[in-house]
Amino acid sequence: MRIVVLTKPVPDPASGGERLGPDGRLDRGNSPAVVNGNDEYVLETALKLIEAAGDGEVILLSMAPQNAPETMRKALAMGATRGILVTDPAISGSCTVATTRILAAALRTLEFDLVLAGVDTSDGGSGVVPPGVAALTGLPFLSYAATIEPDVAARTVRVQRITPTGYDVLEAPLPALISGTQALGEPRYPSLKGIMAARNKEIATLSLADLDIDPATVGLEGATTRVVGSAPPPPRGATRVVREAPDEAARQVVALLAERRLI
Amino acid sequence: MAGIWVHGELAPDGSLAKLSTEIATLARTLAAASGDPEVTGVVIGAQPLGAAEELARFVPRVLSLTEPTTADHAAGTIVAERLAALVGEHQPDVVLVGAGPEGRDLAGALSALTGLGVLANAVAVSAAADGPVATHSVFGGKLVTESALSSGRGIITIRPNTVTAEPAATAGTVESISATGDLAQPVVPIVERIAAEGAAASIDDARIIVAGGRGVGGADGFGLIEDLAGALGGAVGATRAAVDSGWIPYSQQIGQTGKIVKPQLYLALGISGAIQHKVGMQTASTIVAVNRDPDAPIADFADMVVIGDLFEVGAALLAQLRARSG
Amino acid sequence: MAAVTTPSRPPGPYRLTEEHDMLRDAVRVLADERVAPRAADIDRTAEFPQDLRRLLADHDILALPFPEAHGGLGGELLNVCLAVEQLSRACATTGLILAVQELGSLPITLAGSEEQQARWFPKLASGEQLIAFALTEAEAGSDAAAARTIARRDGDDYVIDGTKRFISQGSVADLVTVFAVTDAEVPRHRRLSAFVVEVPRDGFSVTRLEHKMGIRGSPTAELAFDAMRVPVANRLGEEGDGWDIAMRTLDRSRPAIAAQAIGIAQGALEVASAYARERRQFGERIGDFQQIGAMLADMDAGIEAARQLLYRACVAIDDGAPDASRWSAMCKLVAGDTAMRVTTDAVQVLGGYGYIDEFPVERMMRDAKITQLYEGTQQIQRLVIARALLGKGD
Repeated sequence: MRIVVLTKPVPDPASGGERLGPDGRLDRGNSPAVVNGNDEYVLETALKLIEAAGDGEVILLSMAPQNAPETMRKALAMGATRGILVTDPAISGSCTVATTRILAAALRTLEFDLVLAGVDTSDGGSGVVPPGVAALTGLPFLSYAATIEPDVAARTVRVQRITPTGYDVLEAPLPALISGTQALGEPRYPSLKGIMAARNKEIATLSLADLDIDPATVGLEGATTRVVGSAPPPPRGATRVVREAPDEAARQVVALLAERRLI
Repeated sequence: MAGIWVHGELAPDGSLAKLSTEIATLARTLAAASGDPEVTGVVIGAQPLGAAEELARFVPRVLSLTEPTTADHAAGTIVAERLAALVGEHQPDVVLVGAGPEGRDLAGALSALTGLGVLANAVAVSAAADGPVATHSVFGGKLVTESALSSGRGIITIRPNTVTAEPAATAGTVESISATGDLAQPVVPIVERIAAEGAAASIDDARIIVAGGRGVGGADGFGLIEDLAGALGGAVGATRAAVDSGWIPYSQQIGQTGKIVKPQLYLALGISGAIQHKVGMQTASTIVAVNRDPDAPIADFADMVVIGDLFEVGAALLAQLRARSG
Repeated sequence: MAAVTTPSRPPGPYRLTEEHDMLRDAVRVLADERVAPRAADIDRTAEFPQDLRRLLADHDILALPFPEAHGGLGGELLNVCLAVEQLSRACATTGLILAVQELGSLPITLAGSEEQQARWFPKLASGEQLIAFALTEAEAGSDAAAARTIARRDGDDYVIDGTKRFISQGSVADLVTVFAVTDAEVPRHRRLSAFVVEVPRDGFSVTRLEHKMGIRGSPTAELAFDAMRVPVANRLGEEGDGWDIAMRTLDRSRPAIAAQAIGIAQGALEVASAYARERRQFGERIGDFQQIGAMLADMDAGIEAARQLLYRACVAIDDGAPDASRWSAMCKLVAGDTAMRVTTDAVQVLGGYGYIDEFPVERMMRDAKITQLYEGTQQIQRLVIARALLGKGD
């Protein structure tokens, strides 16, 4: 079985260093890049599926203006077989429409049984790229997966999709594209052997020219959306600290809720 | 010019999602401000008429398209394909869609099929001369950005609770239309629907959320959280630590890898307010925290923080809330 | 004027790669989740933690010092030190398991034949076997060349008689690298030879275990050899190479002790800063009192300085710096003194609570002391550095 995992390098949300540059683009130089959290859950699932199948490969597919090999290295250390990086200076500032096109074009160059992606990313967070890539590639799309169970012999995959009331069990033929959630389970830590092995794993790069995409249609110039302003959030106002005994403290909470017409 | 479109999302029971009524209300405000009063609702589903009529209470015109396939197939891509055809035909400037799971699946496929850009997860939308401007909370709430559609046209996904839904003064009309042509995108059958055991109230668009964290100490402790949520008419939320410990299902998780919520009231018990959780709830209108540690980060962004034992304070609060309503 | 071998090699740039970061993070998580909860118990019972030895083996941590060809992970010194540091941050005894595995096997790395490496390394890299380093004797500590353990050639064997003392993990090791005098008549530095001894065997016995102030879970043994026969094939290098092998070993092993010291210090700083954030007196966090804040700041700055020197030293030594002795002595000197100062101050920050076993800082303070003593006392380190500066006298 061959599984492609879409991984996005994002600024480490725990670093506190996320900010926009003067052009409204994400300033990627200001905080360390990490693999997007939700992508790690699907990567873990992909690794488990390959281990259970006994053979196959997990191919990472990322798109980034630069610097992605280092983040990809961690995903390789976790056990992915190899990486493919679409990188081109023109990519910088791409909107979701361009990102979707580029990833779909890169997928067309590959053979696979499954494509997995995190439901959204911690930086952009739009959650629209996985369904978009599925629509452009014509792959069956199964989203918000809590479990992913392919049946290689039958060439099908079953997914439990999280719904507000429980789960829908979806079934589709392979190949298919699945967006996954944290409910898939904790990602592993790279083993020391995995870390050492990662240095010898291949990261191939693809340019926009390789994918036959006109640079003018992507990046900041070709973007369908643009940031027109940014500001720190308005202050929330002072915090009232209540140190009284439970009954009195509860009374003050009730008073606040009543004052704000919440009860 | 075909103005603003509102996608009427169907709730699991086939009724109109509450989020769609909020978006419809927002759309009217936006239309009035932009001087283009035309707002059109679109409901697509196996039995769309009821929801379409509900949506017509909010907007002057609703297109109701019957698409039987969605009865037993994953709806997102199917609805997107039908909607893409309508968008191609009528050329609306803006399509407003919910920013929940259903809306994101729809918006992504719709964007890919039409080439329209997406402004995602808007917490407010205003009208400007060259098109709508969406407001977003980014980087864990450290920054508020405003974004526009380069061509003035596109899709905007809207978070729950950005506005209070208000029906229009006069109800609109519903036009039933039929789909043309076969679906080109592959459809994905739903082979089984599983109701979660004791499915909790959804936190997605809850007006009030009572949430517990590591400090709650165990699944038993969530009994108090549930009781408080019950007394307040709200839903139960949780931090990742509580979910990872198996005290409460993932569907109730708020934060970085869980859900992002914007309730009127967020009552946090035993939650320190680490950044990963903060990003999921900081836009709540009122935040009240109960925590032992006066230096917990949540004290920096809560409206009120009670320093004390969550079980003692929670029990006192529950008693007083019940006394009020009783 | 005599030529002075001034160590003037300018330090080249170094930086931690993504690989180093990942390795450190992987070991840190393991240390936090699995090692730290055992540390107090290991100290209290003074029992060698076989469970944690297996943990290190299962996670390939014991493979770090060994070449890839023999089942290891490459033997990069910085990797070994990053792992020792993170383990020691949680438990100095556990950090020492890796440090001693490296120490004991370095003579084989430096002087063993390909055949000898293939014979011993795979089981050491997998953690199935442990190895100890037996140089010190009761009367030959800092003056190691004064050893009295004798190895007498007898056909295809050597017959070894003598007693080694203060041998870390000597009682739990499967292999012991023993340094013994093969010729008492030659100059001091040609008297010793090195042997790898599989134990237990006839003539080998553990005659004493020390009761120690710190690193209490790491058994420190006295080993007695009574007509112990060891095949010639177990000799490393040539007869008389022992002193040179031992010194080159210490050049590479001292950084791991520096790493242990830095790990202990970092662990103590973390406990002290958490305490200073939480503990309130006179209505304020004690960390907000300038005297406490300044202590914490000095601890942090001292640790970081020692850490950077250590990492720099690791890279210099791996690069084959001619002044490896100097780098290795400097990093252990600075790190050991830093650890002692930082842990003492950490106890001070915690006040009375620092002195009781409810908090780990008293253990860390006891553990820190050894890093100023073993693999050469701090006085010996200064001697090594001074000698590198001044060159040998007449």
